[in-house]
Amino acid sequence: MASFRKKICLLGDYSVGKTSLIRRFVHNRFEDKYISTIGVNVSRKTVSVSPVGNVVEITMMIWDLAGGEEFSQMQGSYLRGADGAMLVCDLTRAKTLDHLETQAHNFLRINPTSKLVVVANKKDLVNQMILTGDQLDTVAAAFDTRYFRTSAKTGDDVEAAFRFLGELLV
Amino acid sequence: MDPNLVRLILANRQISYALTDRELIVTQVNGTLQPGVSPHPDWVGHSLLDFVPEFVGSEKALAEILTGQADHFCLLLVNREIDENATAYVTMEVLPYPDQAGQIHGLVYLVQDTTEWGLSALQVTQHRNELGLLREQLEQQNRKLTASNAELQQLSTLKSQFVSIAAHELRTPLTTLYGYLDLLLSESFGPLNEQQRKFLEITRNGARHLTQITRDLLDTSQIEAGQVELLLKPENLQALLETVAAELKPQRDIKHQSLTIHAAADLPLALCDDMRMVQIITNLFSNASKYTPEGGTIDVSIDLAAEEGFLQVAVADTGVGIGSEDQKKLFTRFFRAKTASLTGASGTGLGLHITRNLVELHGGRIWFESELNRGSTFYFTLPVADDLLSSWSNPDEFSREL
Repeated sequence: MASFRKKICLLGDYSVGKTSLIRRFVHNRFEDKYISTIGVNVSRKTVSVSPVGNVVEITMMIWDLAGGEEFSQMQGSYLRGADGAMLVCDLTRAKTLDHLETQAHNFLRINPTSKLVVVANKKDLVNQMILTGDQLDTVAAAFDTRYFRTSAKTGDDVEAAFRFLGELLV
Repeated sequence: MDPNLVRLILANRQISYALTDRELIVTQVNGTLQPGVSPHPDWVGHSLLDFVPEFVGSEKALAEILTGQADHFCLLLVNREIDENATAYVTMEVLPYPDQAGQIHGLVYLVQDTTEWGLSALQVTQHRNELGLLREQLEQQNRKLTASNAELQQLSTLKSQFVSIAAHELRTPLTTLYGYLDLLLSESFGPLNEQQRKFLEITRNGARHLTQITRDLLDTSQIEAGQVELLLKPENLQALLETVAAELKPQRDIKHQSLTIHAAADLPLALCDDMRMVQIITNLFSNASKYTPEGGTIDVSIDLAAEEGFLQVAVADTGVGIGSEDQKKLFTRFFRAKTASLTGASGTGLGLHITRNLVELHGGRIWFESELNRGSTFYFTLPVADDLLSSWSNPDEFSREL
C-alpha cells in the first residue's frame, strides 16, 4: 500500500474551533472551555483513503495555527511547504467567513498548487447560526472546492472534512 | 571559545542543539532542556525529521540552507505538549554548519525553550480574544437592537400619524357641537326648562372633556413628531399667571379654594411663547385645584431661579399628594397617579407629559415635591429674556421650530 506524508494547515479567525476540530479528529475528544492557541501546534494522524479505488495511507501533519492577526507575520514560515489547508469559519460569526478569502489568498501565494477545503464549524449551535449555504458555497466555489458544516463538539462531519482534504492530496 | 563558557551560555539561554550531516542524519546532540523538547542522544544516527515533525514539509527550506541559498530557517512559538496539562513553547532555528574549510557540512538545529514568555503571551492572547468575542457579541446585539428600534420607530410614527389624524377629524365636529350647545344654553332660541338645561349642561361638559382629550392627543403627537413651533417673545410671567388664575376662578369657586400669587419685586421678563405658557400654567393650576379638597389653598410664587438666567415658578397645593411609587412615572404619558384616580377627577394622563415637554422646549425644567395627604409643589423654570431681546423691534423673528 502506498503511503504519503502531507502537511496541512488549519486557517481561520480566533475561536472558530480549529484546535477543537483537530482534537476531535486526532484524539476524538472535545473540551468546551475556549483556550487560545499561540504560535503553532503540530499533530499527526494516519488515515487510509481510496480516492480512485486504490487504498492509500496518508499521514497528515496537521498544523494548528494561531488565529489572531498578531501572529500573521509569523505565518510565512509556518505555511511554507504545506500541501493543503482547511479554511475554518464559525457558522455563528459572519465576519469569520469574510476573513477566509484573505487567509486563503495568503496561503496560496506561498503554496500555489495546494488544495483547500472550507469548513463551517459549530453546526450544533442551531439557533445562533448566521451563515447560509449559499454564502459558504460562494466562498468554496471561489477556491474550486466544497464546504462542510461540522461540529467539533458532536464530531459531526469532522472526519469527513479531513478525509476529503486527504483524498485531494493523493 | 572556551567550551565551558559555551555550555554556560546555552544553559542560561535554555538552548540545546543537534548537528546533522547533509542527509539530515543527526550526528551529535547537546540536550539540557526538559524532556519532550530537548534533543536526545537516541537521535544520533536517525533523521532529524523523525524527531522534529515540525520540519516535515520544510525539506525544501532546509535544502536551501545546505546549498547556501538561505542562511536560516526559523519557527517561533512552536507548541509541544509535555503531558495532558502542560505545554512547552519553543523556538526552532536551523543554521548551516560549516566545516573547517568553510564548506557547509550539515545543519545546526537549535531549540530554545521560551515557555515562560509563551505562557505570558498566551495569557495576553486569551484576554484579547475573549474581549474580541465579547465585542463581536455586543456588535451583533447592537445591530439587532438598531433594527428593532427602527421598526419600533416606524410603528410609533404610524401610530402618531393615526392619532393626529383621528384627533384632528374629531375636533372639527366637536367644535360645532360645542358651539350649538352654547347657543341653546344661551336660550337664544327659546327658554329651557330645568330638565332641558341640566341635560344640555351635561352634554356640554362631555363635549368639553372630549375637546380637551383631542387637544391633548394632538399636542402629544406634535411633540413626538418634533413639530411644536414656539414663538418666543419677552413676556411678563406674573401677568400670565394672573390671567390664567382669573380664568380658572369659577373652577376654584365651586370648591371654595383660594389662590394667591406672590411675585418678587423687579423681576425680568421671561422668554417664552405666551400661548404655550398659558397652556403650562393652566395645566398646573387646574391640577392643583382638582386634587385639592374643598376649602384648600393654592400658593403660587415667582422669583429668580437659583440657576442664573432663569425665572422659577412654584405652584403649591394642599391636596392629596402623590405616592412615592407614582412619583417616578408622573410625567409619563397616559400615566395617572393612584391618588388622582381616587379623587374621581377626570384626566387623560397627558397633561403633565405635555407640560414637561413644553417647559423643556423652552429650555427650562420642571420637577415637584410631594407628600401623601400633605400636598404637592410643582416647580418650573424659564429663561429670562435678556436686554437685547426685550428691546427687539420684531420679536416674532425669534420663533423657531423645535
